[in-house]
Amino acid sequence: MKKTLREAVSYGDFVTAALYLTLLIFGPLMVRSATFGTRFAYLGNRQMFWAVLAFGAFSLAFLIPYEIWVEYSYLVYGLCVAVLLSMPVLGHYVGGHKSWLYIGPIGFEPSEFAKVAAALAGAAFIKELVGRPMRWREIGILSGIIGLPMLLTLLQPDFGTATTFIPLVAVALYLSFLPLTQIVKWCAIGILALMLLLALGWFTFLKPYQKDRIITFIHPTANTRGAGYQVNQARIAVGSGELLGKGLYSGTQNRLNFLPAPHTDFIFGVVAEETGFLGSLALLGLYLSLLLRFLSTASAARDSEGRFIVLCAFAVILYHVLINIGMVIGLVPTTGIPLPFLSYGGSFLVSMSLFAGLAANVRSRRYAQ
Amino acid sequence: MNGAQEPSLQNKIQFLQAILWLLFVVFALRLFYLQVIEGPYYRLLSENNYTRPTVLRAPRGMLLDRNGAVLCRNQVSFSLVLDTAKGGSLDQTLLSMQRILGLVMTKEEVQAALRRSPVPSLAVLARDIPTAWMQKVEANQDEFKMLRIEMELRREYPFGPVASHALGYVGLLSPKEAQKLRVSDNDPFIEVGKSGVERTANALLMGKNGLRMAQVNSLGREVEDPTLKLPGVGIRREPIPGQTVHLTLDIQLQNILEQAFGEEHGSAIFMNPSTGDILAWVSLPNFDPNLFSGAIPASKWREISEDPSHPLLDRPIQGVYPPGSTFKPFVALVGLEDGVLTPDTTFYCPGYWDFGGRVFHCWAKGGHGTVDLLKGLQDSCDVYFYHAGDLIGIQRMDKWASFFGLGTKTGVDLPSEISGIFPSPAWKAKRHLGPWYPGDNLPVAIGQGYLTVTPLQLLSIYATIATGGERFQPKLLEGPPKLESSVSISPRTEAVLKQALQLVVESGTGTACRIPGVAVCAKTGTAQVVAASAGRNSMSLPKDQRDHAWFAGFAPAGNPSVAFVVMVEHGGHGGNLAAKIAKAGLEYLLLGKKPAQPDVGTKAAPEDQAPNQETPPKPDAPLKARLNPQEPPRFITARYGGGANPRGQP
Repeated sequence: MKKTLREAVSYGDFVTAALYLTLLIFGPLMVRSATFGTRFAYLGNRQMFWAVLAFGAFSLAFLIPYEIWVEYSYLVYGLCVAVLLSMPVLGHYVGGHKSWLYIGPIGFEPSEFAKVAAALAGAAFIKELVGRPMRWREIGILSGIIGLPMLLTLLQPDFGTATTFIPLVAVALYLSFLPLTQIVKWCAIGILALMLLLALGWFTFLKPYQKDRIITFIHPTANTRGAGYQVNQARIAVGSGELLGKGLYSGTQNRLNFLPAPHTDFIFGVVAEETGFLGSLALLGLYLSLLLRFLSTASAARDSEGRFIVLCAFAVILYHVLINIGMVIGLVPTTGIPLPFLSYGGSFLVSMSLFAGLAANVRSRRYAQ
Repeated sequence: MNGAQEPSLQNKIQFLQAILWLLFVVFALRLFYLQVIEGPYYRLLSENNYTRPTVLRAPRGMLLDRNGAVLCRNQVSFSLVLDTAKGGSLDQTLLSMQRILGLVMTKEEVQAALRRSPVPSLAVLARDIPTAWMQKVEANQDEFKMLRIEMELRREYPFGPVASHALGYVGLLSPKEAQKLRVSDNDPFIEVGKSGVERTANALLMGKNGLRMAQVNSLGREVEDPTLKLPGVGIRREPIPGQTVHLTLDIQLQNILEQAFGEEHGSAIFMNPSTGDILAWVSLPNFDPNLFSGAIPASKWREISEDPSHPLLDRPIQGVYPPGSTFKPFVALVGLEDGVLTPDTTFYCPGYWDFGGRVFHCWAKGGHGTVDLLKGLQDSCDVYFYHAGDLIGIQRMDKWASFFGLGTKTGVDLPSEISGIFPSPAWKAKRHLGPWYPGDNLPVAIGQGYLTVTPLQLLSIYATIATGGERFQPKLLEGPPKLESSVSISPRTEAVLKQALQLVVESGTGTACRIPGVAVCAKTGTAQVVAASAGRNSMSLPKDQRDHAWFAGFAPAGNPSVAFVVMVEHGGHGGNLAAKIAKAGLEYLLLGKKPAQPDVGTKAAPEDQAPNQETPPKPDAPLKARLNPQEPPRFITARYGGGANPRGQP
């Protein structure tokens, strides 16, 4: 432990830590503003408590050498899968799906932790390949490792969270033996297949609210009181922030309840309304810096399992940021994907912190032997 | 480290970096577009979200009489409004209205109300609704999404139908009027004057609505959040209340006169001759203007507008009648001033005059014998004035008629005045009635023939005699007097006329108006309704064929402070009821005497005066009475005369 501390100090990735901490402090502040004066006002303080806990998780992920994490990953992974399997019995209904597990008064979402576990288990699998490129069969196994918890999440049925496993599969594919052109080709085929599936699903298995979300994406103003209402109000919130914003706690769209789910899915609307273009750009800049740092770590990583972990962190956070902010500013359809470090939610904050901590861990130990 | 894989991995990571930067630029540009370029637009949208314009209703100005009694004021009342913008089914709403409120309305009626409204989406369905409805509408909001209750200021006339023609009535602004008056408020409750002073003084009386931006949350509920300071919330424009308008009317005099008419129809005007201030403006039958400031049911409106006695007709300026004998003082004046007659000019009256083969009768069949000017006026000898008219001729009379404003409107500040006819050769030619014959002068000289006047025009003649030649424009609104025309009548003529008119009251046809201690100058008159009635006792005819009775004059003789005209339709000879009505008014004005019957307390607050009559629930009775008989009637329906105490006062 003494050695790892010294290591961490001499080669420590303080840039990642600093970016992470900035986001961590900003998060509860925005949750406070988003819930100010409502019956959810207590969530601001609760999120502060979660932030402290999340910082502990970050520190653990940072300080314990990632080899050790990888070593015990199958254990963690197995535990997560077991919990997910027991969800139909132990889980609580929240928002239409059984995705919450309660231990005493504290509830958490096992699927969030399963994401980290899947990334670590994937890394452990890659480690066994000792540097050689993956074969088709191995790509299949890796996809299965990630796909199992994803499938279980889909059965809850938490459509939104299940999709957040997709970036992990993408990383597995990306690091495979396939050249770039092949990947692009496969992606194109994948997208086409997805669209075909969507068209098929439209008439068979898609639920009305899911169809509604797709319609709203195409015609946001068609249904001003339904789902389109949310998109419209979110856009008004963003736009009315103008250059400098209305000031913290002074967003009218937020405070007078025009903005839907302001402390969770639409928290970026609060940021944009209250801090304006400059604040939003600063937040985007923070995410960009963190993600660029992850990429730089990936190319500097000393081994392929470390690289896999960092790229998983990169892909998951990028996916969340892209889908969430894209939704608020009207570039992608509305889904229940939260914004990393900002949206209210303990499990999510902890899992994102674990990813950030692991990424910093990989960089800090890039020379270690 | 895997050396062989290195370049390809570095490429992959560089590719990811490029994609990341691209995404950042796309998102940043999108944010820049939304927040900086479109920012002001979205700021406006967000302001529209949290503000709701609320009309601050400006009260319409009050109407006061010359002593400060309130003739019209505003009463807070609640109305049922339909808002089509709220969405929902109109048919369903109408069914629910019938079931829950008991209010039966057809779709056509609602659509008509929408067309009448200056706000296309709002229709006022019922005004001054029972309090029970408010709770019912509130309690059944799921069924009444399209309905809401609004507070408004409704016009209230505490004296009910008294002076209704002078005051007029109001109605809700129509889209056409909104355009004309350039009112663009989003308010269906703006009232405009439709008749009377309400109409002529509309510009003064009408206020200007204010605007307040209320802060609302996403549920449309008004919220007051001190921690949130919002631009655009608060009073944008203060309401400007309408001005209080002082009238020259004396409501006590008005009331005395209206009561004195009993059940009779007719007009009466009392005026200060040297200012033109109208003290009383009686037109009977009258109507209750309170009815019009509620939503008047179509059946009630038809009942009023199709009433054969024309209660909406403003008789003093819209009724034209031959002036009859009341015209004779004017003829005498022309004769004296133009030197055709002297007080000593005499004519012989055998009861008729054979004028070139055409026989013109005097009202006294036996004749008056030798008659001079004084006696001619006192006894109202027709033959005397046939001769006078023949000597004077139409040219002279026409010249003086223009000084006295005959044949032209008086310009009183009330709408839709009609000018009577003063026939001249030019007028007759224009009407293709042939050339002017000398025989045409004769009926004009006794106030018959083509000659017609409105009661106000006749009053103007007597007022001008009273002032010695100065004619003021009659007015109901307080303000400086306006001299219309001035001609100097010689003191001698004035003295002769006053003496003659005084004799009429002292010992002639107008003795019913004799007031001890006051020198009243007046003349009676009879206007034939049916030509055949000439020379017959008109009291023997059916009521609607009887002659109209005139009584016109001024008092006191020395320095006249009031000129008056009373006209009782089908009242037979003017000497009786018309004179008595005038007497009641003069006694009040000059002696401060009130008639035996109790009258209206001028300054008493009408709230203290409980309406004495319940409106019986008949099929076409006002809405409220029909629906909720236990509610007090919203209109004072007291009738005057018949011994009933109309105001519930001791």
